[in-house]
Amino acid sequence: MRKLTNGQFAWLLMAPGVALFLAIIAYPLVAALVTGFFEQSLVRPGRTFVGLANFADLLGGDFWPVLRNTLVFTLGATVIPFLLGYVLALALNSGLPGFLRGLFLFPWVIPGVVVSFLWLWIFNANYGVLNGLLGTEISWLGQPGTAMAAVIVTKTWASFPWMMVMLLAGLQTMPRELHEAAAVDGAGAIRRFRSVTVPHMKGIAGIVFLLEFIWNFQHFDTIYVLTGGGPAGATKTFAVAVYDTAFKGFDLGHATALGGLWMVLLLMLMVLYLRKEAS
Amino acid sequence: MNTLNRRDALRLLGLSTLGVTALAACAPDASGGAPQGDTAAKSFGFTSWSLNEEAQKAAVQAIVDGYAGSNGVKITTASFPYNEYLNQVTLKLRGGQLTGAIQLDVAWLGALAAMGRLRDLATPAAKGGYTDVALSSGQTGGKQLGLPWTTGSIGLIANTGLLEKAGVDGMPATVAEFEAALRKVAALDGVIPYAAATKAAQLKDILPWMRTFGSPLLAEDQITVGDDPSVAAVEWYKKLYDAKLIAPDVDRFDARALFAQGKAAFYDDAIIARGVVESQAPDKSLTAKMAPLSRPVLKAGDSPQALLWGHVIAVVEGEGADAAAAFAAHATSDTATVATFFEKVKLPPTTAAGLADPKVSGDAFTTEWTEKITKTATANPFWRYAGYAQIETAIAEQVQAVLVGDSSAKEALAKATETAKGLQK
Repeated sequence: MRKLTNGQFAWLLMAPGVALFLAIIAYPLVAALVTGFFEQSLVRPGRTFVGLANFADLLGGDFWPVLRNTLVFTLGATVIPFLLGYVLALALNSGLPGFLRGLFLFPWVIPGVVVSFLWLWIFNANYGVLNGLLGTEISWLGQPGTAMAAVIVTKTWASFPWMMVMLLAGLQTMPRELHEAAAVDGAGAIRRFRSVTVPHMKGIAGIVFLLEFIWNFQHFDTIYVLTGGGPAGATKTFAVAVYDTAFKGFDLGHATALGGLWMVLLLMLMVLYLRKEAS
Repeated sequence: MNTLNRRDALRLLGLSTLGVTALAACAPDASGGAPQGDTAAKSFGFTSWSLNEEAQKAAVQAIVDGYAGSNGVKITTASFPYNEYLNQVTLKLRGGQLTGAIQLDVAWLGALAAMGRLRDLATPAAKGGYTDVALSSGQTGGKQLGLPWTTGSIGLIANTGLLEKAGVDGMPATVAEFEAALRKVAALDGVIPYAAATKAAQLKDILPWMRTFGSPLLAEDQITVGDDPSVAAVEWYKKLYDAKLIAPDVDRFDARALFAQGKAAFYDDAIIARGVVESQAPDKSLTAKMAPLSRPVLKAGDSPQALLWGHVIAVVEGEGADAAAAFAAHATSDTATVATFFEKVKLPPTTAAGLADPKVSGDAFTTEWTEKITKTATANPFWRYAGYAQIETAIAEQVQAVLVGDSSAKEALAKATETAKGLQK
């Protein structure tokens, strides 16, 4: 009776998983990418091959404003909660009462859509809490400048706790002796932060930042609930644009072409992440 | 021991393949093929946005429960918010996941008809006693794809209490009088003179204003949005926006809420408005102050513009279609059912017998609405295109760009028309 080698046995064990991967990930992905080369509607049968026309349409029009909006949102919704999370993590690590950790985590456990509806009410121009408190009549979600800021504030509120917890975990792995030694050598608090804390946290902070950046690059629910990509496309990111094109415009060709371009950008970020993790 | 003989390996591989095949068999039909044939099913689905709206939910559920109880059938209900409804129904129809009866806005029939899944309901329609106008609202491409449930219009509603308080005498008949009335109301503290739609989702409400200013919107298959009258209409709308006579961040649901709270003097809605306001208003005397008015015209003698509106019940071809068609006919044409439904939600029925029922014919608000708004209402010319919703969205997004100061009316409407032309299929 012929016996299987370890390698053959490993492939055999992987076979069901690989088959599932091919069926539910690889095939739909390839099918979606191929659709980008066709004119295809969700409400009409059949499709027509149009080559690169969908990509040319996008690159000649909607792609660039959507890319700009996506980058503005992604940077804002990553940098601000990162800094906030870092400051709070440092404060908690320096002896801030422990129950605050639980309190700060509260926004993170609320589902994203609920958070978005909560802030939708806060920002409403006609009966919103914020205008009530400030005594203003600002249309926070109805003006291009304030709409993006409102979306970033909402996402910041929802995501800073996760960053805070991760950074706090990193801070707690730092040997106390390093700080004590630096203090003995005469280093003040700022110098100790710069020369001890920052180098120690570099790895975890980089991973946390990059992961949040990638997630925000794909983020959908906050933007969709708060502004739907408006006003006048001012908050339309890739996620919202692909959804609108496919499921409101029923235009699968352009939607999948845009999705393909978006995926290429995401793959670049993934490569960065994998390199970072490997290092 | 991590060794395996060939027979065991083949057995394992066979089992794995079987598992994956079974999983694939459970997957939805990617081609979107609908199940064929009605198996005299005693159960079917009913999808309705009204089941998602507080003011109508109980009345619609009562029709469903009443029919299920007296006919021994099981009706599984599903619902989506109105603004998401067309997307969800389209996706589910395409995926073959939607069967039974579905409530549809008359505007959506053209788009959904293109998918070829709706049953021709000519036979129950012929027996239902529907009025000709109502029947026509459920027809597209020469087929009766929906049984009319209600037929009416979308027009302007005023809070006469606020108008009186602001010193507005009588209802404004022209655009100039309307603007003057808005300016008087603006002097009242905390009141939005006209809760007009300013969110993209509902900015299609500007189309009747474009017609008021003289744009046909569509002439011999040529989109005329971007012509001088439509540009003038958008510039006027922008003027109202800048003068805070209309407010930012408003869609139909916001407008209803503001009106119900006595914080808006005018807004656009269907006749359903009275039922909605009745259920939301803290001041129960508000419904008595609600008055439908003809949309102001540009100059005396013009015909007031209003949008024909209504909803139908359509049936998806396939399993349970016969039972669903019988339910659709009952819900829309049984006189006792439609009269009771009217009593609860104030949606006018579509059958001659229903309209003649004393509960309906004796209702002064409905009579006034019909006389002032529905009488001159016309269908949206874009409804004939499967991509009508996208055409409206293209226009709405550009009008929003004008409102927020990103673009001039002329440039924005030219851009909207360019996009819309590609959607005329």
